[in-house]
Amino acid sequence: MSSDAACGSRIECMDCNCRIGTFEHMEEPHFTDVDGLLAEMEFIGISQALVMHSWASHWSPRLGNAKLDELIGDRDNLYPCYVALPSATGELAPPAEFAAEVRARRGAVRLFPAEHQWDFTPWCAGELLDALAARSVPALIDMGQTNWNQIAAVLEQYRELPLIILGTSYRINRHIYPLFKKYENLYLEVNTHVMTWSLEDISERFGAERLIFGTGLPETEAGGALAQVRYNKLSDADKARIAGGNLRSLLGMEEP
Amino acid sequence: MGESTFVEKLKSGIRVDDELVIDCHAHMGPWYNFHIPGDGTPESMVENMDLVGIGMAVAAPHIAIGPDIKEGNRQVAEAAERYPDRLVAYITINPRYPLPEIEAEISLYHDLFGGIKGFKFHSSCHGVDCSHLGYGPVYEYANEHGVPILSHVWDGPDKDGKSFLARQAAAYPNIAFLHAHSGNSWDVIRKLTAEAKGHPNIYLDMAGSGRPYGGLEYMVKEVGADRVLLGTDMPFIDVRCQFGRLLAARISDDDKRMIMGLNAKRLFNL
Repeated sequence: MSSDAACGSRIECMDCNCRIGTFEHMEEPHFTDVDGLLAEMEFIGISQALVMHSWASHWSPRLGNAKLDELIGDRDNLYPCYVALPSATGELAPPAEFAAEVRARRGAVRLFPAEHQWDFTPWCAGELLDALAARSVPALIDMGQTNWNQIAAVLEQYRELPLIILGTSYRINRHIYPLFKKYENLYLEVNTHVMTWSLEDISERFGAERLIFGTGLPETEAGGALAQVRYNKLSDADKARIAGGNLRSLLGMEEP
Repeated sequence: MGESTFVEKLKSGIRVDDELVIDCHAHMGPWYNFHIPGDGTPESMVENMDLVGIGMAVAAPHIAIGPDIKEGNRQVAEAAERYPDRLVAYITINPRYPLPEIEAEISLYHDLFGGIKGFKFHSSCHGVDCSHLGYGPVYEYANEHGVPILSHVWDGPDKDGKSFLARQAAAYPNIAFLHAHSGNSWDVIRKLTAEAKGHPNIYLDMAGSGRPYGGLEYMVKEVGADRVLLGTDMPFIDVRCQFGRLLAARISDDDKRMIMGLNAKRLFNL
């Protein structure tokens, strides 16, 4: 996709927060496979997605990441979001190798320090974070997995690491605004930050480049997130950036 | 189910201008707990509504669910006067106020508006439950005049195996009991749809930040679209959150129209 796509009214949505695979708390209408995800994307008008596999988050990062590769294959609209671990236990490839592979696939990593029993701190995850930062691999982390002090410390020490915060609720402005002001490598998924005028306010203060479209499919429906990027007071170019341009840029798919 | 006009509008960012859209759950003003861009002024709220095509919102100011119902009711009455076609006043009651003051508040707005359109309870913020005796005058007035009550939760003691809400709904058949945040999680959805099934005057409000996949469709399947109402929680939460959820839902466009505004028009007599 050329940077022209960020101009005019063409908006190509790319979702940073999708998952496939069965999971513990499935409800009846949930889809769990690639075909289901693609059908949902078609229904709601999402062109591309960054996808994680449930095995990686809730069983084995190593085997779940491999399963993800097997399932999404070389599809040109699904990109891998691998689950990463600190290097000390040697459960995944060495950090430099792992980060290079993720970057080559135009992928990203998802971090679960709380659920996977490690600390989102340099003493615990330093080698991993160094490697991801060296390759500018985007790292996604849910607020339920960390805290603002850890995020601030990581942003300070790893200035080349694009960090995308998910699962924030709408009550975070007094925490995240000082971080937005200080760290250009901080990004926010819009799905759960549903505060009134959040897109407009953050774009005006810090730039629309800091916002990333994501849905939380299949656990969360996508219409609420889509409405945020489709109905707003921003320019068409900024809408296109938030809807997908910013994420594609972070993944190395297009120029910022 | 065929193509949905509303899904296509959402996908193209076309505002829903030609439908009756009423938000049954709005607030107003700032709030101590977090920053609200625009400070929740009536102007900011109407502008937020205009983004998507919400014509009217029924509102209870934050200060009313917080420390001062009289100031809150005054604020929303003033806003409703300034925006008579866009904002409708909930009269909020904190049952901890002395009974004569509660009765005076009801009387004041009954006279001012020629009848109150809706009441708002926030028993959690006010640190009580909905069985508090101070709510008594509201139940009596609402039942006599057919006025809906929106409550954050319908908490109160169970008795004879029945919940407080079920007992109130049976005791006051002319009140529409609106349960706020009914679609926020699967646990809440399953509990409240079961509760609503047995009582035709219990209604489910969508407002909140949660949007479990398939949850709205389940609510409609279980209780019918005529018992579900669009609510946003604006300006706590942006209108786009729940409005987008409704537009994208896998239910018929006629069902969406009921949830979007037809139900609220009927219940609030707008």
